[in-house]
Order: sequence, then structure tokens, then C-alpha cells
Amino acid sequence: MPDLRDYDSSAEIKWCPGCGNFSILAAVKKALCSLNLAPHQVLLVSGIGQAAKTPHYLSCNLFHGLHGRALPIATGAKLANHQLTIIVHCGDGDCYGEGGNHFFNAIRRNIDLTLLVHNNKVYGLTKGQASPTSDLHMITRAQPFGVMLEPFNPLAVALALGCGFVARGYAGKPDHLSLLIQKGMQHKGFSLIDILQPCVSFNHVNTYAWYNERVYKLEQEGHNASDFAAAFARAQQWGDRIPIGVFYQKEKPTLTDMFPALQERPLVDYAYDPARLHTLISSL
Amino acid sequence: MSLDITIKIGGEAGQGIQTVGQLLAMVCRESGLYVFGINDFESRIRGGHSFFQLRISDRHIRAPHHVVNLLLAMDDNTVTLHQHQLFPSGIILCNKKKPVDIPRTLAVSFDELAAQAGNPITANAVAAGAALALLGAPFELLEKVLLRQFADKKQTVRDENIRAAHLGYAAVDAQRCTADIPWSSTSSPKPIIEGSQAIAYGALAGDCRFAAFYPMSPATGIMMHLAACQKEFPLVVEQAEDEIAAANMIIGAAFAGVRSLTATSGGGFCLMTEAVGLAGITETPAVFINAQRPGPATGLATRTAQADLHMVIRAGQDDAPRFVFAPGSPEEAYETTARALMLAEKYQVPVIVLVDQFFNDSLYSLEKPFIVPQKIERYILDHTAITNPLGYQRYQITESGISPRALPCKGKALVKCSGNEHRENGHTSESSQDRIAMVDKRARKTIGMLSEIGPPEHYHADADILLLGWGSTRGVIREAVERLRADGYNIGCLHFCDLWPFPTHALESLNLTKKRLIAIEQNSTAQFAQLLRQQTGIAVHDSFLKYDGRPLYPQEIYDAMKARS
Repeated sequence: MPDLRDYDSSAEIKWCPGCGNFSILAAVKKALCSLNLAPHQVLLVSGIGQAAKTPHYLSCNLFHGLHGRALPIATGAKLANHQLTIIVHCGDGDCYGEGGNHFFNAIRRNIDLTLLVHNNKVYGLTKGQASPTSDLHMITRAQPFGVMLEPFNPLAVALALGCGFVARGYAGKPDHLSLLIQKGMQHKGFSLIDILQPCVSFNHVNTYAWYNERVYKLEQEGHNASDFAAAFARAQQWGDRIPIGVFYQKEKPTLTDMFPALQERPLVDYAYDPARLHTLISSL
Repeated sequence: MSLDITIKIGGEAGQGIQTVGQLLAMVCRESGLYVFGINDFESRIRGGHSFFQLRISDRHIRAPHHVVNLLLAMDDNTVTLHQHQLFPSGIILCNKKKPVDIPRTLAVSFDELAAQAGNPITANAVAAGAALALLGAPFELLEKVLLRQFADKKQTVRDENIRAAHLGYAAVDAQRCTADIPWSSTSSPKPIIEGSQAIAYGALAGDCRFAAFYPMSPATGIMMHLAACQKEFPLVVEQAEDEIAAANMIIGAAFAGVRSLTATSGGGFCLMTEAVGLAGITETPAVFINAQRPGPATGLATRTAQADLHMVIRAGQDDAPRFVFAPGSPEEAYETTARALMLAEKYQVPVIVLVDQFFNDSLYSLEKPFIVPQKIERYILDHTAITNPLGYQRYQITESGISPRALPCKGKALVKCSGNEHRENGHTSESSQDRIAMVDKRARKTIGMLSEIGPPEHYHADADILLLGWGSTRGVIREAVERLRADGYNIGCLHFCDLWPFPTHALESLNLTKKRLIAIEQNSTAQFAQLLRQQTGIAVHDSFLKYDGRPLYPQEIYDAMKARS
């Protein structure tokens, strides 16, 4: 059984003190330990943003790529070696803004990985502009008249696209979040965990105190995670009461279950065989 | 050239022009003849005007011919548009019931005979039968080709097509074309391949396991050929949501350990440029095939160009080493694609292969089948060879600039890759020392990369005048030079496949400063000539540039050179 300290990284952590990312990091470490995964058995993939720095702060394999493009990197890696255990760390801007198209299509592919969206509802790394999930009317230096765009609802969108694991966690409840991450990783298929994360530097609306007054656990209110309509209704709820937990779960074949070549072994494990190409070329 | 016949098949998109062309080409293949076919079509699925032009010879040919011996007109428009290209003794075969009042024109109703054969869809077989009768081919050759073509289909489909071909054949049997083609059913067939197919097979010869793409003309054919191989090969071909995703997917797959490539055209490549840089800084092997078409933006979607040379050499911000190749024949495309996958892995760099619509959509006869590599050398560090896994550093500073590359989750050593500037262990760093060390390390790879770069193909390089070409125009320029030399011109050519790192070292012995140099390119600014001057200081004196989106013909170069003397 790995120890939490096995995941400690030598890299200097460059988040603001009090950032919600710290408890997300702790929750991920705890989940990996609980699932008995050693650091070398895990691949962390990220794009760009404060959330995307996370892989450096854990001791695992990592690929830190371009803004918005973590999911295509992870998809390619998973197709090359479908035995990989992959966690993707994105922010709300990274995943729902710059990488929106990839978010839709990774869900449609049902590629077996766990997507953690550190959703602080603001752009942190570029100092406080609105993000796709910012609440209407939030005032920023870039949006002096308030946010005019309807907020993006990741859970409703994921449900509409047929996502087989849709959950929301809260950085202020790290133990609950850690359990959600474990469930997401155990789910066979694409798992979305949108994580409500206060940004102590730039989001002065959605603070710890604001969330603490509002969040409630779905499992404590008898929510049935196999009921799609109920999940969709809960996904619309925002404001006075904000649900966290597993909204919906349903297993179905994943992308790597469907390619003939992957049924025998991972692509990376095949030996080169000249005979096949010989046959093909002789047929010209 | 003893035998040199060109057949032009024209009509609307959707009339099966390519099918007729393919059938004729396959019959030539059976007879051991050489073919060269070009495909000209508009950006539409039905209507408009398209043509397939098939040149037949008893010698190796690698260029289209400008005059037509047999014009096979599926519609009236074809006659109007191409009549002027007809050789004096040429024949027009048109899809009409009643005789036409145009000299040397035969009318055969392909549609009526197809209906008679039992299915209107067999009009293509009627047309092929009629054309082959005019060319004096024995019917058995076409029958054999049809049987093979429809081997997987129902008996009725085979019967209908053979019946249709026979009706077409019999309709013109008495009136032969003057061409004296040595038809034979005992010659050894010359394999036929499409340009895009040669790239796909080259990918397999380079042990490509993963390909991702977003459909874009004229690159799509490459991926269609690869997609068809997924049942027999350890291969996954994934259609991505956009070119950005495709480029990042291949980087992800390569990072996890399989050789990967993508194919697109200029516009798609523009979207991939940030990923080219990512492959550069993360030192992940990735092969990008850019099948060029005229731009900018959408440009001419289904036509040809050689106008992305500057773009691909510079693509992405800042500097990162890369290879750029532009093969000039199917043999070279096959070898270059395999080599691109090998070199990407050996040097951990992006490799860009430039082809174009003319190359991808053309049909080539091969002198001999491609050579299949017996084994593939890998450039990956096995975890069992790492004595101290905790000390493994993905970006270890080395003399060659190449750091031993282990695969993630294949052993105890942790593999950490980052597109942010990093230190040797892969973690982000903003220190001056780390930055300089990493830039220099990546740049040092260029020394080894240069040693992989081959010289241009020489043809009478000692001549006073040298034509300079690159990429798909190789056979065209070569034929023009042969004809000019036959007329007494002291002319030769250099043709470049390996373009970056620039082969400066390979040019030193050629005394280029003492020659008259003429660039032959399919762009409007002589991009290669500019590159040559930039890298060597050698000035190119003149150029012949064609940028209307149509393929270059030997005759055009021949005329242009004659006009200059």
C-alpha cells in the first residue's frame, strides 16, 4: 500500500496561500493511496492554467501540454496504451473555454479516464477575467459592466452528451471529494468531476463562506444516480442550494473496447511484423 | 518514346470518371504497361466538370502529357472544353445515341447499353469497354480486371458489368484507334499505386500504430487508405474533432510509446502549428503530413500547390529543430514516410512531410514493389536498463542533445514531459540557466539531424543551366530536361526531397555559383529559391512558376526554357 508521502513532489508549489487547489491536491493523493496505486502506475495530463500545474506537485508520470488540449493528449496516450490510469487536470477556462470542443468529444468517445475540472469560475493565471462558468453580472477588470454571457453548465452538458459518470465535488470538503475521485477512477469510461474551488485572489463572490452556506450532498437527500431525469434536474440547481456528489452513473463500452487491434493487447505492446505489410504490398 | 498515348475521361462529378480511369489503368497493368494518371475535379460531389487523364507507355513515365489521343466524353461539356487538346489523329468517343457532326468522333450511348446490360449503373463498364476496343485491347483483359474488381460482389453484379463492358466493346469493335499498343496477357503486371496510398503504406513500413486526422482535401485519401488497414494491422485511426485535437492526440500517443502521424492540408496545418511547437519543446516524436493545396485560407480546395514550404519550416513560435521532407515519387514517399517516423523517434522531434494534391491523387506504375523492412529499430529506453529509476530525468543534458526516452507507466522511473520550459527532470523552471541549457540542448540535435539529410537528386548536374525543383514535380521536370537535352540544350536539374535542416553541405561540390539557376515551383514567389539564398547566399537567376492550382506539364517547362534561349 503506497504512503501519502510517496506522492510528494520536489517541485515548488506556486499557488496562492489558501487556494482551493491545495485541498484538491490532497484529495487526489488520498484517492491514489486508497486505490493502492503507486506513483509510477499513474499518468497525469494537464493543459494550461493554475489547475494544470497540479501534475508537477504530485510525484507521478506527467504530460503538461497546451492550453485547452489536455484531453486530446490523454486520448492519444490512452489509445496507445489502454492499460494506463489517467487523470486529467484542467481549469474551467482550460476545459470549458479553450478546450470546449475536446470536452464534448472526449465525452462522446467515452474514453476511460478521469477528468478533474478545478472550477474556480474565474481566470486565475491571467489575473481575474471572467471564465465560462462565471456567474452572470460578476464584475471584473475585463468585464466592467458585469458578465453578460450565460454561465456554462458543465454537468448538464455532460449529461446531454451521454457522459457515464457525472459528479461535482467541493474543495471545502476534501474527504468527500477524495471519495468522488476514487469512484470516478473506478468507473469504466469517461468520468467528469467538476470541482467547486474558491479563488482567494480573484473571485470575491464564490468564496468558502458562500459555498459553505449552500452546498449539500446528493446522497443525503436520497438522489438516485441511475435516474437520468433526476440527475438533469439536479444539474440545473444553482443559487441558494448547490448539490455535490454523483449526479449520474451508467457504464457502457468505452472507446478502447471497440477497436479490434486493442482487444488483443495495447498498441504499444505489439511487435513489428513485416508479413502483414508484405501481403498488402503484394496485392498492388 | 515508342508508345505514348493519353486518354482523357471527362464528365460531371458523380459520373464515375475515376472508375473508368481505374479500369483502363488496371487493364494496362495486366499488360505490363506503365501508366500515369491525374485527377482533376472541383470542390463538389455532383455536377460541374471533372476529368481523369491517363497516360500509357511502354516506358517508365512520371508526368502527364499535354496532348490527348482519345477523349472519352461522358457529357457534351467535355468535348467543348478539351477538343483543342486532341492530337491530329485523336478520336473523341462520346456518350450519345446519334452520330455527332464533329470530325473523328464516335457516338456510343453508354447509358442505353448499360440499361441493356441490366443496370444503368454499369455505364462506366460500357465506356471502358468501348475505349479499350478503340485501343485494340483484347476483351479478355478487361473481363479479368472486372472479375477481380467485383470479386466480393454478387454474381449478378459481375455478370451485369461484364455484359455492359462487352456491349461497349462490340459497339466500336470495327473502328480501331491508330495506336499500336503491345497488349499482352503474359507480361508481368506493373503494380499501380495512388500517391496517397504510397504514404499510407510508408506509414506502415515505419511501424505507425496510431493516426488521427480531421478530413481535409487533398490529405483525406492518406487516412482512408490507412483506415482500411485497421483490421490487419496493430493500428488505430481516429477521426478527431478538429486538427488541433488530431495533432495533440498523436503527440499523446507518441508520448505513450507508439509511432504516430497525422495528415492535413495547409489550413489544417495552420491549426496544428502550436502542437508542432509542443512536440518540439516536449521532445515528443510526431509526424505531420501536409498535402498542399493553393491558399491562403480555403484557397482552391481540390487543386494543387507547393506553397507551404516557408510556413512548415517556420511553423510555431520561437525555434525548435524539425525535419522537413518533400518526396518526389511514390517510391520516395513510401521511404520518406517510414524514414520520417524513424527520425522523429530517433531525434525526438516533429517531422513534416510535404506532398500535394497532384501527388496524392495521381496514379503511378511502380517498376518493382516497395521493399518491406524486416525489422524496425526503436529509439526508446527500456526501463530494465535504468539502474536508478528514482534518478531518471526525461530531459537529461547530453552531448547530442538527445535524452534517453523512457515510456510512462512501463517501469518505476517517472516520465515527466512539459511544454513549459523545464529542468532536466521535466518540472517547470523559469531560471535563466535552465532556459539556456534546454534551448541549447534542443538546438544541438540539429548537428545529428544534418547528418541524416541527403543530397538532392542530380540529373546532369554538370550542365550550364540547372533547373531547381522540390517535391512532387520531380518526374515532370526530369522529362522536360530530357526533351531539352535531346534538342541539344546543355541543361540539367537538381531535385530536393530533404529540405530541412537545409542540405547546405550537399551543395558545396556542385559549383552552383557558376551555373545559371532556374527555380521551377508551384507557388508565386519561388519559395525554394528564397530559402536557398537565405541558407547559402546562392542567388537563383530566374524562375518558372505555376500557381493556378493545376499540375505542371513537361511541355510548359520545355516551352518556357525554349522561350528563354
